[in-house]
Amino acid sequence: MTTPLVEAVGVGRSFRLGGQVIEALLPASFEVFPGDRIALMGPSGSGKSTLLHLMADLDVPSTGRLTWPALGASGRLRPGRIGMVFQASSLLPMLDLAENVALPLLLQGHTQEARERALQALDAVGLGSLADKLPEELSGGQAQRVGLARALVGRPKLILADEPTGQLDHATARHVLDALLAALEATDAALIVATHDAEIGARLRSVWYLSHGSLHSELEVEPAT
Amino acid sequence: MIGIWGKGLLGSRQGRLFGAMLGVGLTIGLIVAVGSFTVAASGTMTARAVADVPVDWQIELVPGADAAAVNEALDKAVKRRALATVGYASVAGFAARTGQTVQNTGAGKVIGVPPGYRETFPHQIQLLLGTWDGALIAQQTAANLHVGVGDPVSIERLGVGPTQVTVAGIVSLPNADSMFQAIGMPKGAGPQAPPDNVLLLPLAQWHALFDPQTSVRPDSVRSQLHVGLTHSGLARDPAQAYLQVERMANNFEARVAGSALVGNNLAARLEGARADALYARVLFLFLGVPGIVLAALFTLAVATSGLARRRREEALLRTRGASGTQILKLAGIEAGVIGAGGVLAGWGLAALAALAWWEISTFTAALAWVVTAAVAGLLLAACGILLPAWRDARQSTVAAARGSGLRAPAPLWQRLYVDIALLGLSAIVFWLIAGTGYQVVVAPEGVPQTAVHYDAFLAPLGLWIGAGLLVMRLMRLGLERGREGLARLLAPLAGGLAPVVAAALARQKDLIARGVALVTLAFAFAVSIAVFNTTYRAQALVDAQLTNGADVTVTGSTGAPPAQLLQGLAALPGVAAAEPMMHRYAYVGTDLQDMYGIDPARIARATPMSDAYFAGMSAREALARLAARPDAVLVSEETAQTFELQPGDLLNVRLQSAVDHKYHVVPFHYVGIAREFPTAPRDSFLVANASYMGRMTGTDAAEVVLLRTRGDPEAVAAGARKLAAPLPGIQVSTLGETRRLIGSSLTSVDLRGLTALELGFAVLMIAGVTGLILLLGLAERRRSFTILAALGAKPAQLGAFLWSEALVIVGAGAASGAAIGFAVAEVLVKLLSGVFDPPPEALSIPWPYLITVAVAAVACTAAAVRVMLALARKPDPLALRRE
Ligand SMILES: Nc1ncnc2c1ncn2[C@@H]1O[C@H](COP(=O)(O)OP(=O)(O)OP(=O)(O)O)[C@@H](O)[C@H]1O
Ligand SMILES: [Mg+2]
Repeated sequence: MTTPLVEAVGVGRSFRLGGQVIEALLPASFEVFPGDRIALMGPSGSGKSTLLHLMADLDVPSTGRLTWPALGASGRLRPGRIGMVFQASSLLPMLDLAENVALPLLLQGHTQEARERALQALDAVGLGSLADKLPEELSGGQAQRVGLARALVGRPKLILADEPTGQLDHATARHVLDALLAALEATDAALIVATHDAEIGARLRSVWYLSHGSLHSELEVEPAT
Repeated sequence: MIGIWGKGLLGSRQGRLFGAMLGVGLTIGLIVAVGSFTVAASGTMTARAVADVPVDWQIELVPGADAAAVNEALDKAVKRRALATVGYASVAGFAARTGQTVQNTGAGKVIGVPPGYRETFPHQIQLLLGTWDGALIAQQTAANLHVGVGDPVSIERLGVGPTQVTVAGIVSLPNADSMFQAIGMPKGAGPQAPPDNVLLLPLAQWHALFDPQTSVRPDSVRSQLHVGLTHSGLARDPAQAYLQVERMANNFEARVAGSALVGNNLAARLEGARADALYARVLFLFLGVPGIVLAALFTLAVATSGLARRRREEALLRTRGASGTQILKLAGIEAGVIGAGGVLAGWGLAALAALAWWEISTFTAALAWVVTAAVAGLLLAACGILLPAWRDARQSTVAAARGSGLRAPAPLWQRLYVDIALLGLSAIVFWLIAGTGYQVVVAPEGVPQTAVHYDAFLAPLGLWIGAGLLVMRLMRLGLERGREGLARLLAPLAGGLAPVVAAALARQKDLIARGVALVTLAFAFAVSIAVFNTTYRAQALVDAQLTNGADVTVTGSTGAPPAQLLQGLAALPGVAAAEPMMHRYAYVGTDLQDMYGIDPARIARATPMSDAYFAGMSAREALARLAARPDAVLVSEETAQTFELQPGDLLNVRLQSAVDHKYHVVPFHYVGIAREFPTAPRDSFLVANASYMGRMTGTDAAEVVLLRTRGDPEAVAAGARKLAAPLPGIQVSTLGETRRLIGSSLTSVDLRGLTALELGFAVLMIAGVTGLILLLGLAERRRSFTILAALGAKPAQLGAFLWSEALVIVGAGAASGAAIGFAVAEVLVKLLSGVFDPPPEALSIPWPYLITVAVAAVACTAAAVRVMLALARKPDPLALRRE
């Protein structure tokens, strides 16, 4: 039996806003294994980003126990083990695209091959020619693709993408997803994509549904051909 | 919507709001403080100037004038507190017999002193020996006649026979110059030397002896009214008070229609004080204005550090349907809050400063300043907040507000070379003023108008701002071109991240350069003020040292020289060195001058010999020239010119011999010019070898002993006084006493209050620019640091980014600021040479203050970085979900 990448037991997250308590994620238990392809779907405000951030070790659950048995201890997961694509544009405005994409490698100390690999990653998302542009010179969709390249560049075991195609037209979205799946094809990395796009949901192996903070179903679907 | 904005104002942007308020407050506080300081200082200047004028007016009655009518006219013209009638009689000379020889003097004066005179005008006559009751003889006359208390002196009256009096006391007349002034001489006729020989008699006795002379030679006898005026009505500003007193004198002279003339000592003193008051004003301007400019820049920097964020917010408001006027109204409210808070804070600060350094009344006296400052503060707030909002509302679109300005073109001033122009202007002004010996303050004697070359201020100000801008230009250029070099420089700090950090810094060159420029200006300000201040104080010390001669000075007379106590004085605890020095009087032609006899090999042990004392040679060389030739003499510039002396020329001087008490010719050889010398008067004096003078006069009595102390000079002085008690007429003075005297006299502008204020303010500014501005600058990019942390940057890696930026900004700013500060101080000292007497040889470096400043800068930088590190370390998931 393979060790899970993520193991959650009764993990929930609530926020206190003023006097009000918002249950962003109701306690849920689940596991993520190598090679998983999961679409995380649900209406806006249902808790998708909250869940991804918990899995990315960017946030701490209010209740329950969250561990990364195959990846390591909390605090040592990024940038090496987990790659994250953020929902909002998250490029550093004062670095060019190559430098932005190279950051996870540089932070791990891989300074030698950093630039070379960053350029490859940019190529993979179709932006190789814009390597020395600044983020402010990109369209929203291009920026998201750079974010994707940055998440992939360190060859992490778990990729968490928060609406990576949210700002793309259908054709480009498909193209980006193709690139993403192709990049992960030969690896046993797991991929979790939060999305509103049913088409994307249909192309991934499993779909998790979130509504009002409850992860109420896990559906196994046949990968679309 | 306004409610939400208001919450935002007081909530998340507290730091910036508070900082901007603080900046406005500091600006206002400084303006008010400098203003009330100017008011207070020029006010005390009149008060100080007139406080020790011994006799305000000396009114000379024309022979035959109606004394009662003059008195009546005086009562009408002025308010007075004291009045005395004094008799002045010229005599052919005095004579006295010692043993077999008879000493004779040249022409002299006999003064009739009314009863109560010395209580009314206490500074006029000082009793050295004997009693007040009877004939008092001036010290120099007593020496010339070789008489003491109880000895008879014959007065050779004009037109009637000689008469004899007995000496009751020996006195000195510290105000002889004004006491014997020629009244009614045209202005600019030059000062008249006081008589060498003076005797004072009680007025009744004087009448008895000189009424006969009056009837024979009425031209030789005069009466003067000595008047003490009420000073309470005088204007606070010496220049105005001077005009006031002059008008009063004119008014009086018009009333008496030529039967009496005013010797206006009060006006003469105020005339001299005018220049000091003007220098005070110039100093407040030179030292105060840069501080105000800096505070204003600080405020603008704080306000604009939120500009990008504010633009985003405004764009957001607009997309939600807010109109341009609404947005402007909101910005107006913010500016109003900052302005009002700043005004209150500023007034509070100024009131505190006024309480600490001056009376609070000056604060109210400077009401105009208080109001001006408030207006300036509100304007500043409007410039920082409202103006950018208005510009944005007019020009930019929602889309333009997104731009980060990373690829903005060079600013206008840089394309127009404003920095180079300012530096050029500064150089030209400096060259025009310093190079041509032009004085910044012109207050010529005898001319009611005064002039101040305020344009001289362009030299330091242009240097300061021009150099600050140049640093900004060079920073931009360096960051753009020198990315690789910067990466190498940062490698020890940032390791493998150094190239990325360098790239990030290079792309933010505008932001970094602005930060560096601000730190540069703050450091330059602090350093220039501190260096100027220490140099000024060091010069005040040199001045005091010159006046007093040494740490402790023991002064006696030829008859009772303190040098006989030399062994005892040298053995006093706390004495590091004791050196004797002769102080005699010598005739150079007809001019009686002070003459000092020293041992050139030893004198420097007891008192510092400054190069500034001598003209055209160092102190070492001057002393060497004296040592090389026994009959060498150093003379004043005036004497050298009058006698057209060339080095090696013979100069015959008449010195009093101890054998026959007569003045005999002694040959000296001129070797150089002495401008100043310890204890010497400012005008003419001579310096020669004590050994030669002793040989030629038959006595090696040294009238002065100079003591250098190791411990407390006051304790040494007390010991010296005890030791000297048996000797008559010995005086002991300390550097501290002299310093206090000089400090409260007019030759120096009292800067303590202002510089204390400015030095404190400079530290605050440095803390502000290295702490608050740095933090606000970093906070502006908080999102970037949050992203870095979310990507998995370790605290040390985040630190590499933050520390590198802080290091570049504060390091480059502090280094260039210190260099510019020294240059500005040099310019200030050169331009303001008029306040220094003598001018300083070199700048004094205030190490403790500079270290304080450096520590403050390092501490605040570290605090700012640590706060930012703490903020960025906790990745805020909310920030990653939306923009
Ligand atoms: N830091 C926070 N503080 C308070 N409430 C929060 C915080 N983060 C999330 N929430 C709340 O938790 C709920 C879930 O938010 P979340 O961002 O996870 O939704 P989402 O599914 O990602 O929505 P979207 O599709 O719009 O991105 C929302 O109601 C949100 O307001
Ligand atoms: Mg979301």
